[in-house]
Amino acid sequence: MTSADQVNRLLALVPYLQSHPDAEMGATAAVFGVTAEQLLDDLNVLWYCGLPGGMPGDLIEIDMETVAESGRIRLTNAEYLSRPVRFTPDEAMSLVVALRAVRELAGGHLAEGIETALAKLERAAGAGSSTPQVAVAGGSEEIREQLAASIEAGELVELDYIGAGLAPSTPRVAPVKLITRDGYGYLQAWALDRSAWRTYRLDRIGAVRRTGTAAGEVGTPPQFGPGWLEQRPDAAEVTLRLAPAASWITEYYPIREVRTEEAAIEVDLLVADPAWLRSLLLRLGSDVLDVRPPEAAAAAREAAADALAVYAAE
Amino acid sequence: MNLAICLLMARRFIEKSQIRQVVEGYHDLSDAAFERTFERDKDELRAMGVPVETGSNNPLFPDEVGYRIRRKDFELPAIEFTPAETAALGLAATVWESATQAEQAVTALAKLRASGVDPDPARLDALAPSIGAREPAFASIWAATIERAPIRFGYKGRPRRVEPWAMTYRRGAWYLLARDRDKAEPRMFKVARVDAAAERIGRPGSYAVPEVDLEASWGSLEPKQPDAEVVLGIRQGRAPDLRRRGRPVSTQQEVPAGYDVLAVSYARAGDLVGEVCAHGADVVVLAPAPVRRAVLAELRATAGGRP
Repeated sequence: MTSADQVNRLLALVPYLQSHPDAEMGATAAVFGVTAEQLLDDLNVLWYCGLPGGMPGDLIEIDMETVAESGRIRLTNAEYLSRPVRFTPDEAMSLVVALRAVRELAGGHLAEGIETALAKLERAAGAGSSTPQVAVAGGSEEIREQLAASIEAGELVELDYIGAGLAPSTPRVAPVKLITRDGYGYLQAWALDRSAWRTYRLDRIGAVRRTGTAAGEVGTPPQFGPGWLEQRPDAAEVTLRLAPAASWITEYYPIREVRTEEAAIEVDLLVADPAWLRSLLLRLGSDVLDVRPPEAAAAAREAAADALAVYAAE
Repeated sequence: MNLAICLLMARRFIEKSQIRQVVEGYHDLSDAAFERTFERDKDELRAMGVPVETGSNNPLFPDEVGYRIRRKDFELPAIEFTPAETAALGLAATVWESATQAEQAVTALAKLRASGVDPDPARLDALAPSIGAREPAFASIWAATIERAPIRFGYKGRPRRVEPWAMTYRRGAWYLLARDRDKAEPRMFKVARVDAAAERIGRPGSYAVPEVDLEASWGSLEPKQPDAEVVLGIRQGRAPDLRRRGRPVSTQQEVPAGYDVLAVSYARAGDLVGEVCAHGADVVVLAPAPVRRAVLAELRATAGGRP
C-alpha cells in the first residue's frame, strides 16, 4: 500500500461518506476493497486533513466516538470535496476491460445496458481505442440467452453436450450461473442424473431444451475460482514428461508446476476427469516421454491399441 | 492529501513558499525535506491522473511559478447510469482474478458509488465472468502500455525492444501489440512467452501510438484459414465437433463397419493429427496417406509402452 494509493482512496472516500451519511464501517470497507483496519487508518489520516491553515474549523470532521461505539461514520465539513477524483488511467482501463468481459458472457436481455455503460465509462475515462480487447470462447449468443432465461425462470433444461471425453450426452440440469475461467465460458449447474454440481463448457453445448419444469431449490454451487480443481476430492495429480514441442499445453491447461530441462519439460497437472487425460495423452502422442504414476497412462494406451486395431481390420 | 485540497481550493496559482506555510504537515519540515516531500506529493498526484498545473499569476513576473489544480480536471464528470448499466458496472468490479487489477476496478467502482451510483448486486446474479492475469510479465507490460513507456524483454530467446501500443485478452491469454524498435514494425507478442518482467528503457509518454486498425491486428490471432482436406471415417454418433466441420463424401476405400465418411478441412497438419488421435478408435484417417501415416505413428507411440 503506497501513500499514493491511500490519497487516491481518500479522495473518493470523502465524497462517498458525504453521499452516504452514517455509512457502516464494514460495508464501507467492502466498497473500497480494504480491511476495516485500513479504513480506520484512513479515517485517522482524514482527521488531519482539511483546508489550508490547519485551524480547527478548517479540518474535516469525523465523529470518531460514534465510529468506535456504533461502527457508523459521520463525516462533515468537507463540502468542497463532494465529487470523487477522476479515475487513474489504470483504474479506468481495469474497469473497462472487466466490463468488456461481462459483455462477452452476457446474452440477450442481460447484455442490455452493458454497451451503453461501456460507452459512458470510456467517455468519462477518456479511454481511446487502445484499451484492451477481450474475447471469450463463450459459444453462441443464442445458447447463452436461453440459459440466462432458464436461470432466471428457475427451470430445468436438457443440454446436448459434448464432454471432454468427446462422447455426446444429454444431461438434464438445473442451470445456476454462467461463468468464465481461463478464457472459456461455462455453465454451472446441478446435474440431476449425477446428483452433483457440474460445469459445462458453453462452446460445447449444442442445444438447450427448456422443459418448463421448475428446478426447485438446489442451493449454492461451489466456488469455481482459481484452483477450483483443487477442491474436487476426486482430482489426482499426474506428472507428464514432455518433449519441448508439447510445451504449448502449459498455456492452455491449468498446470500446478512446470520444470524446464534442456530437452524436456515436466508438468504437474490436476486431473479430475480420466477421459480428459486420455484424450490429452492421445493428442500429445510421441511428445509424451513419461507419465507418473504409470497407471494414469493405461486408458490412453488401451484407446490407442483399439484405434490401431480398427486400422488393421480395414 | 492536504496538498490536493489546498491546490484544488486555490483560485489562482499558489507559490511554493505559500504552500509550505499553509499545508498541514509541510511547515515543520526542513528546507531539504520540504522540497523532497513536495516534489514526491506532486508527482504522486500527477501519476494518479490529477493534473497539477504550473503557471504564474503575474504576466510581468512569469518566473514566480505557482501551482494549482483545476476543479474540472480533478473531478470525475457527472455521469447518469440506468439501473441496467449500474448492475453491469457492479459485476465488472468482480471480474479480475489478479489482485492488483481487482483493486483498481474496485476503487474505480467506489468512485462511481461516491458520486451516487449504487449497483444492485442481485440483478446479474446469473453471471460470473472472470479475467486472469497469471503471466509473470503481465503487470510490467500492462503498466508500460498504460503509460506508453518503451520496454525491453526476452521473447523466444531473443531480446526485444518495443513500444507497447495495446493489449488484448483472447481465450485466456494476454497479447501485446507493440512496435518492435529493431525491426521498425508492429509485432504481436504473447505475454505468456515473455521471459520475465519487462524493463523500462525510456520515459512514460515518450512515443505516440498511431491510429491502427486494432481489429485487423488481432485478426492475425484467429486460427489460420483451412487450406487442406482430409478424409475421415467417424464412428456413428461420435466426434460431433469434427462432424460439424465436415461434409459427407464417398470413397473407393474400404470403410470399417459403423463408420461414416466425411471430408474435413484443416489449417495445420500437426493440430489435425493431434485432434484425430484424441478421438482414439472413434476417428480414422482414410486419406491422404501422409496424414494417415502420421496418425498411425502417434498412436503406436502412445500404445507402445512408451510410456
